[in-house]
Amino acid sequence: MARLELANVSKSYGAFDAIQNVSLAIEDGEFAVFVGPSGCGKSTLLRLIAGLDPISDGAIRIGADDVTRRPAGTRSVAMVFQSYALYPHMTVFDNIAFPLQMEKRAKADIRQQVERAANTVQLTTRLKDRPAKLSGGQRQRVAIARAIVRKPDIFLMDEPLSNLDAALRIEMRSELTQLHKTLGATMVYVTHDQLEAMTMADRIVVLNGGKVEQVGTPMDLYHYPANRFVGGFIGSPPMNMLAARVLGNGAFDVAGVGQVVMPRLGRKLAEGVAVTLGIRPEHLGSDVAEGGFTARIMPHNVERLGAQTMVHARIDDQNFTCVLSGDRPLTQGEAITVGCKADRIHVFDESGLTVAKA
Amino acid sequence: MAFEQKPKEVSFQQNWSAYAFLAPALVILFMSLLLPAAATLVMSFTDVSFLHPTNWVGFDNYIKLLADEKFGQAVANTIHYTLGVTFPTMALGMLAAVALNRKVPGRIAFRTIFYLPVLTSLIAAAVVWAYLYEPYAGPLNNALAGLGLTPRPWLQDPSLALNSLIVMAIWRDFGTAMIIYLAGLQDIPNDVYEAARLDGAPPHKIFFRITVPMLSSVTFYLLIILIVQTFQVFGAIYVMTQGGPLGSTETVVYQMYQTAFAHTEFGYGAAMSTVLFLTILAFSLIGTRIMKRKDG
Repeated sequence: MARLELANVSKSYGAFDAIQNVSLAIEDGEFAVFVGPSGCGKSTLLRLIAGLDPISDGAIRIGADDVTRRPAGTRSVAMVFQSYALYPHMTVFDNIAFPLQMEKRAKADIRQQVERAANTVQLTTRLKDRPAKLSGGQRQRVAIARAIVRKPDIFLMDEPLSNLDAALRIEMRSELTQLHKTLGATMVYVTHDQLEAMTMADRIVVLNGGKVEQVGTPMDLYHYPANRFVGGFIGSPPMNMLAARVLGNGAFDVAGVGQVVMPRLGRKLAEGVAVTLGIRPEHLGSDVAEGGFTARIMPHNVERLGAQTMVHARIDDQNFTCVLSGDRPLTQGEAITVGCKADRIHVFDESGLTVAKA
Repeated sequence: MAFEQKPKEVSFQQNWSAYAFLAPALVILFMSLLLPAAATLVMSFTDVSFLHPTNWVGFDNYIKLLADEKFGQAVANTIHYTLGVTFPTMALGMLAAVALNRKVPGRIAFRTIFYLPVLTSLIAAAVVWAYLYEPYAGPLNNALAGLGLTPRPWLQDPSLALNSLIVMAIWRDFGTAMIIYLAGLQDIPNDVYEAARLDGAPPHKIFFRITVPMLSSVTFYLLIILIVQTFQVFGAIYVMTQGGPLGSTETVVYQMYQTAFAHTEFGYGAAMSTVLFLTILAFSLIGTRIMKRKDG
């Protein structure tokens, strides 16, 4: 296991900059998740770490070694592909054994290692089968076993669960987390699913347009998003964004709502400046606190889920969602008042950066 | 009830329209292929000829074939030709396909150039190759002489003639093999190659352990069609050697043609034709069976 460090890594395809000056360090034994929307460069970054594509600029270090110019097979990284990328003409045993055969290990050693890896992913009874005979989940386990058997410094996983059905995905999510704990391995995991990122990661790297938007623990990103993009991307349903204008003395004029007072901001905003206020749907309640945010909304859709009630409305022609705790017998077209405390409100300045609270 | 019957009516009508569309092709197939094939089979049990009245001879033609040394020689020549053409054609086709499947400059031009011989007329190609092999002023012997090597009578020496025809056939056929292998290569996902690279496989191991096995269905298909095709070689031999020198390039189909049309022994020629047909049918059936098992 080893530490992974990216220093000013860039990747361009002609005039298109897929990765722009990314610097980050993933600690030994850490489970890091790259998350972001489609086309943000997360898979490209993974491929650069793997050595499948050459980088345009910067350096990649694994442990003390600079692996920037090393070919893919010599970096001590193993990768689990979204498509599994199993060798269809080989048995499960041969698929798992392939990397060891390439290292010219002794047959007895290969058998022992393969059986151990197959045991870890509960595949010992399927070693003689071809991949075509396995289910999606079993194929994914073969791909993981093929990675484990190499004992790499870094495990790379490119959306490994996205081809599985919902129930299997939840099961595999927990198995992968357990596997990470068992192996104590450094893992870099790519997903577009922020739920996967939140539940599995030690630290999340949020990417957008080839740049790192924020790196932090799941709760750091949830409670302290660095900017409007991260605020909107992390959390489900997404954060409500309301256009507002600074009035001075910590007050804002929120379009379609009225005045909101936020007394404790870390920096002073000039009067008249346009900002965005972000409020998470689950932070809104019908027990309205004084001095915070209050809005009268007209639900156009109410989803009663039992443990919570999801209310969809519009404020200033923007979607506005509230997740109220418990089952609320609300009906659409029946106006309600919702609100939250001032310290639950996120303020993003004109450039989208978070204005920290004092 | 009416609701249940409706789909049946539709499928009945659909079946009839399908048969109607198939009918012209089936009629042509019957007239041009099945009828002559049946006639050949019947003819093989007779001594039909222009020279005497036709008699039913039972299996005499087949018994005569078993003892016919000339036919044995033709079978040996055909096997030599088939093996000589099939395997090098497949090997060269695969190498060319693997090379031209990469993003190398001019790959489209090379693909076109390699495929051009397939598109040329066999007779035109045979005439050109006959000129290339010409013993006194042919370009090949001129080139050999230029290099200080001994010119050879390529098509006139019994030990060289069949191999000279094999070289021409490889030149003509490997474009087909290349195109079919290229199509097979497109079916191999890039992820699999990338996984192999990450697993530490060097390029030659990737070729032998990933590419070649994953092309096995294509290889098998090519093997069958090339065997079937080369077993029936005729045109090149007819134009370039007429089975000579000393019968060294006389293959089954050429001998069949000679027997039937030069010696007017139609019954005996039909027996040869039937044996050839059954041999090719056997290869096709075995091939289909193995392909089905592989796919399963």
